[in-house]
Amino acid sequence: MLKLLVRYLNLMVLTIFALVLLSFFLPFLFPGDTLTNISGIVAQSAEQRAALEGVYQLDKSVFHQFAFYIESLITGNWGISLSDRANLYDDIQLAFPATLELVAYALFVSIVIGIPLGFLSGLKNHNPADFSVVTFSIVGYSFPVFWLALIFITIFCLQLEWLPLSGRIDLLFDVPVNTGFILIDIALSDISNKYDAYLDALRHLILPTASVAIVTTALFIRFTRRSIMDVMKKDYIVAAKSRGFTQSQIFFKHAFKNALLPILPMLALQVSTLITNVMIIETIFSWPGVGRWLIQAIYQQDYPAIRIGMLIVSLFVMSLTITIEFITRAIDPARERAESATI
Amino acid sequence: MALLEIKNLTLYIDTGDDTTVKALEKVNLTLNEGEIRALVGESGSGKSLVVRCIIGAIPDYWSIKADRITYNGQDLLNMSYEKRRQIMRREIAVVFQEPTSSLDPSVTIGEQIEESIPPEFIDKGWFWEKNRQRKQIAIGLIHKVGIRDHARYLNAYPHEIPKDVSQKIMIAMALASEPKILIADDSTRGMESTTKTQILRLLVKLNKTKKLAILFVSHDLLAITSIAQSMTVLYCGQTVESGKTRSLLKRPLHPYTKALLDSAPSFQVSLAPKSPLVALDGTIPTLQHLPAGCRLGPRCPNARKECVQVPAPRSIQEHTYSCHFPLHMPEKLSTKPPRMAQGLTATSYEDD
Repeated sequence: MLKLLVRYLNLMVLTIFALVLLSFFLPFLFPGDTLTNISGIVAQSAEQRAALEGVYQLDKSVFHQFAFYIESLITGNWGISLSDRANLYDDIQLAFPATLELVAYALFVSIVIGIPLGFLSGLKNHNPADFSVVTFSIVGYSFPVFWLALIFITIFCLQLEWLPLSGRIDLLFDVPVNTGFILIDIALSDISNKYDAYLDALRHLILPTASVAIVTTALFIRFTRRSIMDVMKKDYIVAAKSRGFTQSQIFFKHAFKNALLPILPMLALQVSTLITNVMIIETIFSWPGVGRWLIQAIYQQDYPAIRIGMLIVSLFVMSLTITIEFITRAIDPARERAESATI
Repeated sequence: MALLEIKNLTLYIDTGDDTTVKALEKVNLTLNEGEIRALVGESGSGKSLVVRCIIGAIPDYWSIKADRITYNGQDLLNMSYEKRRQIMRREIAVVFQEPTSSLDPSVTIGEQIEESIPPEFIDKGWFWEKNRQRKQIAIGLIHKVGIRDHARYLNAYPHEIPKDVSQKIMIAMALASEPKILIADDSTRGMESTTKTQILRLLVKLNKTKKLAILFVSHDLLAITSIAQSMTVLYCGQTVESGKTRSLLKRPLHPYTKALLDSAPSFQVSLAPKSPLVALDGTIPTLQHLPAGCRLGPRCPNARKECVQVPAPRSIQEHTYSCHFPLHMPEKLSTKPPRMAQGLTATSYEDD
């Protein structure tokens, strides 16, 4: 187990290093002045240029520059935006939790709905309940996310006027930013009308979460259904039946874990797709997350912001994937054999 | 008194394109109390299907028709699911063909054995006492099947233990509920002879000491003749002959039984050096191309026109056979001598 942990940590560190290295070279590859690309400041005079080069150590060797880059990454000195002179570290600290929040809710909904439905239709396969679940999952999976979001907006915001169109919460509620997660921030704040604030925040959440979660839920249903159908045909399930165990005993003790183990890595891979979808949805719903922030930066050719935003998002996706991969390895007794006993 | 009785069991398998195949046709099988009965047949003769029908683990696309399948006088076919489950839980135990795939790969051996112990056996009060008692019983069971090193195996996962040990563990799990019937579905297949002997000895011991009735499903004639008191021969989903092992070996009435016994050189006492080994022509037909009537028909040396009808089982004392033209019997239906029967008998007695 320790060996496994060390191996995965090693993989993680190496990947982080590669990502940092790539992002280090980006400003040299972007069009325009490298100094501006790094610092976010357009040098107005030769003295200013020399001073800035001194600060960013551009006058020294590339190794010095790289060391300085790593140091500033760690100390939180992520540079300033080219377009609005905002501190990038603060910007990302504001935007990233918003994305994380949406990802978390969408994932939660997909797991809570997708996996039980998958089990249900896999266990009762080829009956009307199964067919309707499968139909739902095929239809859900076939929708492009951005189109679905637009349709939702047209129906629920513009036609029916049931739900708000954009943002995380109504501007009337002055919730101070604390953790960046809106629901937690409301709980921590001392505003008078907390209940209304909650209701409003949840109303804002419904459409973005639904439009991301439908695709993921559909995928989860399909994975789970396939997997449980395979497992129920296995010899050990027949053996368990022959021992006269109850249905629930067979399902919870033998089928459940064995069905989930092979699909966990697949579900984990979907998280990165989910994050991509969330970024698109953020733009459509004006959700102040990192995806929208990054797309704005791209529009404005804000190179320092693109560099840092890209690095942070890829670091997040990468560490998430490796962590889930590690967990699946660690809890699956049979997989350890495959790596230690192959000749 | 028959503990388990199967009468005219027919199993239909839906092959999908509006056709059904009779994978088993009018199979008869009885297992008496305290008896070891062997169910013999080639691979693909439907031995495991019979087992699946007894335990009731059949997929949706199979359907069963039978005059009766009874356990101890209770009809297993028309029984409620719950009652049948109870019987499977306490009275009938099965040891499957593939021990490693019949154990749940994600649960340790110890937990799986403990799970097979019926809750009624645990009489201690608190849950920690219960857990300890369960563990004690599990260790006892493992010792009983001849594994001494319980500490090594109880915490292991199925893929970490050798195949013969997992076979013994399957037997331990089967014995956990102290059943009346043990169905051993080809449990010694592919084992080396020392392990096989150990397992066979274990089965015989259980049969002697606990009056455990054993249905021993196998194609290993040597093992069968050494432990089974009676046997039923299955060919291509039809029971061809059944009776006491001794009388079957001495005087097989069905041509298939004879061919089966002849194919094992160990049974031919007077086999001369360099004499040809006897085997039936052809192979066992696939389920898609089953012959009508007696399924041995196309391969049978004695086959005649009548054989396109399924022969009704006839019995002489306890020896039952399904054949129109049995060997060693005076001709009743026809005066003509069977064309090939002489040839067949000749091969086995021609040496001197």
